[in-house]
Amino acid sequence: MLGEFEYVLITVAAGLGESAYGAAIREEIEKVAGRRCSIGALYTTIERLEKKGLLKTWMGEATAQRGGRAKRMVRVTAKGMHAAKEFYEAMVRVSRNASWASGKPERA
Amino acid sequence: MRSLTEMATIFLAPNDREAVLGDLAETGASGWSALRSVLGLVLRQQMELWCAWQPWIASSVAFAGSLLLLSVSFGLSVDSRHLLRGERGYGSVLCEALLMLSWAWTSGYVVGSLSAKTRWVSGILCAIPCLSCVLRFHDTSLSRLCVLLFLLPAVVGAIQGVCRARLFHGTALTLAIAMTALMLVLGGMYMRNWFFFLPAWWLVAHAERSELSNEKGPA
Repeated sequence: MLGEFEYVLITVAAGLGESAYGAAIREEIEKVAGRRCSIGALYTTIERLEKKGLLKTWMGEATAQRGGRAKRMVRVTAKGMHAAKEFYEAMVRVSRNASWASGKPERA
Repeated sequence: MRSLTEMATIFLAPNDREAVLGDLAETGASGWSALRSVLGLVLRQQMELWCAWQPWIASSVAFAGSLLLLSVSFGLSVDSRHLLRGERGYGSVLCEALLMLSWAWTSGYVVGSLSAKTRWVSGILCAIPCLSCVLRFHDTSLSRLCVLLFLLPAVVGAIQGVCRARLFHGTALTLAIAMTALMLVLGGMYMRNWFFFLPAWWLVAHAERSELSNEKGPA
């Protein structure tokens, strides 16, 4: 099963689609998830997920904005989508009886 | 600071370097923040590498192997001197030299092929006993560099291991059998020989696995 940050990364990369690359994913995670994402955490997780076959990466175009450096483009594989879906469904199942998910009053 | 950040990226793979420096330029990160980001990535990548067993085995072989090969090199140098004085036969010294070459090469190959990304750690672990031994060497009748005879074949083996030079199963098996036979001829299977027995036979298993995966072809 995926780790929490792995799930966040795959979900954000899938959401960005064709424009998913290092800096864009990092910015999106910080904006949407409201958490700091270091370059170290981002790239080591991307490498780990690529080794597991959940992501595919390749070097994209270089832009002037990036000082002429290429982007590391990211695409979620079918296996990655399946793993993310499994994680999401497990979280929904786990949260079923929690007050914040079911709307039931909180028990002490 | 920018050049410091770029210097720190030498520890990264070329593609990572390109992507990370590009990301830093795009987000406008500079100074300590950029340097911290790069060093953080380098540290995390190293930590991930050391979660596997291969770097530990490679480092152990590099350290223990160099300690043992220092004494083998010294022994060979002393026996070569005896040979020149006519106190030893050519055969035994030649066997000893062949054994040292093959021990050094196979150990180097194993270290390089097991964990190419941590080769600098293996290099340091090999260099520490070498330097210590060279600096403390006292025998005035021999050059202090005589203890480093094993270094060249070991480095060649390590480079070939890092480059994953193809090793045929037949070649590896012949080498392992020849080494085992030489070990038996030269004093039997005592502790030191057992240590070098392992890299040789690991190469046989490695070569067999590589041939099997080549036969299957890419998935």
